[in-house]
Amino acid sequence: MPASANPNRKWSLTQEAFDGFLGCLADDRERAAEKYLEIRQNLIRFFEWRGCQFPEDHADETVNRVAKRVSEGEEIRNPMAYFIGVARLLVLEILKARAKESQALNEMATSSVEYVDSSDSEARIECLRKCLAGLSSDNRELILQYYQGDKGDKIENRKKLTERLGVSVNTLRMRTLRLREKLQSCVENCVNNIGM
Amino acid sequence: MDIPISHFNQEMIVRYLLGELPEKQQVEIEDQAFQDQQYLQNILAVENDLIDEYVRGEIPLNKRQKFESHFLASAERRRKVEFARALSTVASESEVFESVPVSSDAPRFLLNPLRAFIQSLNPAAAFSVATAALILVFGASWLIRDGLRQRSQLSQLRAEQQAQKAQQRQLQEQIANERSRNEELAAEVEQLRKREAPLSLPREDQSSVKPAPTTVALMLLPGLSRGSNQRPKLVIRQAAQTARLQVVVDPQDDYPRFLVELRTQRGQRVWGQENLSARATRIGHTIVLNVPAKVFGSGQYELSLKGTTAAGIIEDVGYYYFEVSKQ
Repeated sequence: MPASANPNRKWSLTQEAFDGFLGCLADDRERAAEKYLEIRQNLIRFFEWRGCQFPEDHADETVNRVAKRVSEGEEIRNPMAYFIGVARLLVLEILKARAKESQALNEMATSSVEYVDSSDSEARIECLRKCLAGLSSDNRELILQYYQGDKGDKIENRKKLTERLGVSVNTLRMRTLRLREKLQSCVENCVNNIGM
Repeated sequence: MDIPISHFNQEMIVRYLLGELPEKQQVEIEDQAFQDQQYLQNILAVENDLIDEYVRGEIPLNKRQKFESHFLASAERRRKVEFARALSTVASESEVFESVPVSSDAPRFLLNPLRAFIQSLNPAAAFSVATAALILVFGASWLIRDGLRQRSQLSQLRAEQQAQKAQQRQLQEQIANERSRNEELAAEVEQLRKREAPLSLPREDQSSVKPAPTTVALMLLPGLSRGSNQRPKLVIRQAAQTARLQVVVDPQDDYPRFLVELRTQRGQRVWGQENLSARATRIGHTIVLNVPAKVFGSGQYELSLKGTTAAGIIEDVGYYYFEVSKQ
């Protein structure tokens, strides 16, 4: 079993508790829902950055814990800071659980994940081509050129792109970051749809 | 507004993403990231660059191991790597296509004389030539299609080959570096031994006038392997009560606390100590151990050094080998 924190937790999120929790994020329910999604996404990033194996599960567990505290009457002034504080405590629990597991398995390195290339690369490439075809020609050209070449060539390519587009290196970086996120999401959907 | 890259410490972010920073700095980065959208976006961009470097085999070996054990812990991150691999392949394909421009006028240019030629023939001959031309067109389109597929496979193979070559280069560089570092250390140990020899091995005439020291000292440097024949030697005379071991630690191993264990060549634990801290000295970061001389007999010893992280996790730091001669 992977390292997970608090396996004997009894409290579970009720609709009432979730409503109360949304209420502490914003007065307007729609705005609160947006805020919730943003916080959840940041929590997933946080657990990824901390090298946790199940970032989404841990993000949901953090939300549950905060919702529980809100239902108990706790007032939250700075939601993101509060969530991250709770998430940090959860990371400590995860690390402790992992250390115990590791000890139990005679100090075997359970935390290290052997990375094996998956065999679905052909299908992923096909999906990427389809998703690229869905982009505007400017964006398609931009992202392909941004990622062309190795080391020196790549830097040179990017420099030329900034000159051609008349933007700063950082603006170009952010633009391709957004395109890349969009493309990755499209590729994941495509891969899931063809049942891999 | 853009954050100038110089204000955004990329190297530190890479260390953060590989789990190499102490807790305090991790917290600082996270707090800033979740307060400042632009800073967060920059971290995500660095994350993508790191993934791309990994895919292209441009990450140094020591970082590669951290990348695989820490960075790739979650399935989401592994999917990001798969995506980067696909993007690298497709981008290098488009590079191939861009370098071979295809003129769209070419088929029209060829078709017109062919049409004129067919029209000049009698119906039976025209039919045969037209059929042959059709077969030729279908055959050619199949060949082109097959060629494109092969080219795509070729560019994918090329990307993989480049990654392997880069990794091989890094391994060779690392081996060469390790070798020269070992040679330097061996030379350093030899020098130290020569310098210490008159002190730890007093001549007969000196021992007759000076009392034997109650403390003997030995410096242990990182990087010597178990099989090395350059092991430092500690000479313990009968009167000695304490052996002072000065363990030199690699500055990168900046753990808040350390623990050590001393074992005989057969693996029997003879001594250990926890909650030790490294101090910056003239020769680097060192941990000083005062080991009762009585725990030693003549023979080979292994000192294992482990670091305790801020979160309480114990990690291996290194092993030091030395020889004791009890007289």
